[in-house]
Amino acid sequence: MAHLKLDQISKKFPGVKALDGVCLTVFSGEIHALCGENGAGKSTLMNILAGNLQPDEGTLILNDKTEIIHNPHAAFDLGISIVYQHLSLVDSLSVAENIFANQQPVNTFGVIQFNELYTKTESLLQQLQLTEINPRTLVSRLSPAQKQMVEIAKALAKKPSILILDEPTASLTEKETQALFTILKKLKDEGISVIYISHRLEEIFLLADRISILKDGTYQGTFLKHDLKKDDLIKRMVGREINALKIESHLQEEVLLSVKNLSGNRFENISFQLHRGEILGFAGLVGAGRTEIARAIFGADNFETGEVMLENQMLNVTHPSESISKGMAYVPEERKALGLFPEMTIQDNIIVGKLTNALRGGFYNSERAKELAIDLKEKLRIVAPGVQQKVNNLSGGNQQKVVLAKWLLTNPEVLIVDEPTHGIDVGAKFEIYEILKSLAAQGKGIVMISSDLPELLGICDRIIVIKKGTIAGELSHAEATEEKIMALASN
Amino acid sequence: MFQKIIEERIYSLLILLIMVCATASMVFPETFPTFENFSQILLNLSIDTIVAVGMMMLLISGSFDLSVGSVVAFAGCLAGLLMITFQMPVPLAICIALMGSIVVGFINGYLVAYKGINPMIQTLAMMGIVRGAALMLSGSGVQNLPYWFNAIGQSKLLGIQMPIWYMLFTVIVFTFLLNKTILFRQFYYIGGNEKAADLSGIRVKRMKMIGFVLTATLAGVAGILLSSRLGAALPTMGRGLELRVITAVILGGASLSGGYGKIPGALLGALFMGIIANIMVISRVSGYWQEIILGIILIGTLWLDKALQKKYSSLT
Repeated sequence: MAHLKLDQISKKFPGVKALDGVCLTVFSGEIHALCGENGAGKSTLMNILAGNLQPDEGTLILNDKTEIIHNPHAAFDLGISIVYQHLSLVDSLSVAENIFANQQPVNTFGVIQFNELYTKTESLLQQLQLTEINPRTLVSRLSPAQKQMVEIAKALAKKPSILILDEPTASLTEKETQALFTILKKLKDEGISVIYISHRLEEIFLLADRISILKDGTYQGTFLKHDLKKDDLIKRMVGREINALKIESHLQEEVLLSVKNLSGNRFENISFQLHRGEILGFAGLVGAGRTEIARAIFGADNFETGEVMLENQMLNVTHPSESISKGMAYVPEERKALGLFPEMTIQDNIIVGKLTNALRGGFYNSERAKELAIDLKEKLRIVAPGVQQKVNNLSGGNQQKVVLAKWLLTNPEVLIVDEPTHGIDVGAKFEIYEILKSLAAQGKGIVMISSDLPELLGICDRIIVIKKGTIAGELSHAEATEEKIMALASN
Repeated sequence: MFQKIIEERIYSLLILLIMVCATASMVFPETFPTFENFSQILLNLSIDTIVAVGMMMLLISGSFDLSVGSVVAFAGCLAGLLMITFQMPVPLAICIALMGSIVVGFINGYLVAYKGINPMIQTLAMMGIVRGAALMLSGSGVQNLPYWFNAIGQSKLLGIQMPIWYMLFTVIVFTFLLNKTILFRQFYYIGGNEKAADLSGIRVKRMKMIGFVLTATLAGVAGILLSSRLGAALPTMGRGLELRVITAVILGGASLSGGYGKIPGALLGALFMGIIANIMVISRVSGYWQEIILGIILIGTLWLDKALQKKYSSLT
């Protein structure tokens, strides 16, 4: 039985047709995966269902009734609940208050009944097998994975009949992902429709009953899982076939970066060497301490003991500006929050690398800045009308290229990239790999922190696995497999 | 072209200003478009504008300073006290008064940037402390300031009062600094995204401190100019100046969240407020109404701005 039916939905934004006559039918009690590259229109479609956006054309039929969802509150009343990719939790409130935001249990005088709130939260968390989370804990104290699970609990607290999840596993570990899948399958058995958006194709094939594909705002069809092969799916999403990752090592003898017995906040006794032309992978669970290690080496955070040597010279730095001038660069994990100046132009975002490096104290030449920016925009194939475009308007992949462009300008010897392809579509991912590989070919050293195992296995010469702030093991390109990495990372 | 006018407040404000002036010139051809009237308007807003330049810089970097009005009084009173009670030579007294302002800026900057105190709380507290210090230094005020001190603010060059020249000089120097030097352009990045700026190698804390110190210094300069113009240093000088200046700077295109604004906007914002006030005086609007109308203009401008930008982005 069709639970939800979207018919000929179109939505225009300035300059783009985000959705063009999209049709989608979702049955009760199914897990329906929605696939497409970034910019394909998935988020727009979800925002229409959530009541955040109004379609220009088309109808939305819920339980055989035509509905218009004017605002998020209306969506809630219709039983549509969304788990957003970007978390919507308030850090300064408790888990329970976040989960029951705006629907806290009250007595006849409208006063919040906290005891009831906590018991209700506890039983909900129990259903989700999240017994380690205390309902009274402040959300700010949770790990990223726990926050994601609380977000899901919040969506379920509304007792939805349609549950939409947008990239829910991006910050989850293998174990939590499995727990989430168990929950989703249980919800499906209870007759709830689940719409599942993910870039991870493995997950989609594991979980979904049917798969719908969007490409550039147009509907490419819906398929039963068994009728669709992975390559076929990619081809329909991207419109072209993507070559499998091909490794071509540029590894040289010379040691570029050497870290000895580094200890600090959340990591301990880290020693490794990075060679010229090497791409060194850092695998591990989210929260294992990989980002902290990278930030300490880069000088963004202090470390307690140990030493970092760059090209056989001690790297005693207390601020990124010093490490940058000595030839280091760091692409942070959260692109928007830490890597970009979202309201500024592409040119301003790229040129900031120069502001702190060679030209320090000198005069700003806007003509020269423009030339440099245009040059890099073309080199990295950043898709935008011009370098005066605000980066906020770019897709995730293009934003990441802007961050990389900034560092190409400072010509670093060592580049540390932290989850460089998180939330980026398949096409742009491969372009980022190409950029990293060409840097390695020029003799640079690259440290790549990633939770995307196929990508680590594909392009790294060597993989170090971090567990709870220590090095759990090291695998060469030849011996590394997903199973070996997960075994080292988790137990 | 149209896009530029919509996006850059200094252009839209300039056009609005020209339209207002043209209308006023037609309605009051005798009194409004005269050299005397305009030099009076400029003289009246010169002190505010010098402070507004510093405030614009701070707002671009994402913070602001409420203590500037008190610093104006403090610098004037300190200089007056040193010259009259301690019989110090004029240049030395001015230098010490400016040093005092720099210390205030340094404390503000250090506590905000390095100790993480919210700029609103920090400068609000400093506003009271410094005003109190000004009262303590000068009691009911210092009169009969030396001739050479008064000459700073009361003489003319090419028929134009000196404070106007100082104001233009400040605006031009800081426009150049923020447009053309690497060091000062960093303020835009800090206002745009502080964390990303730090990871890009900008010394965010140090720059924030520099911003507060420069703003307090400009407020000190304004205080010395004001008491020189008045021929007296009064502890009540600059009362309410901080809010006037922030209003002018917001009108001139700054945003409280940082990252936006241009230095000439500070001058244009102050000029706009000065001209509106002048027109109301000429047309004999009561003083109560002036404040009400200025408030409405501020809200109206920002509202119109949002509406135009929205409309424009939906057109393309």
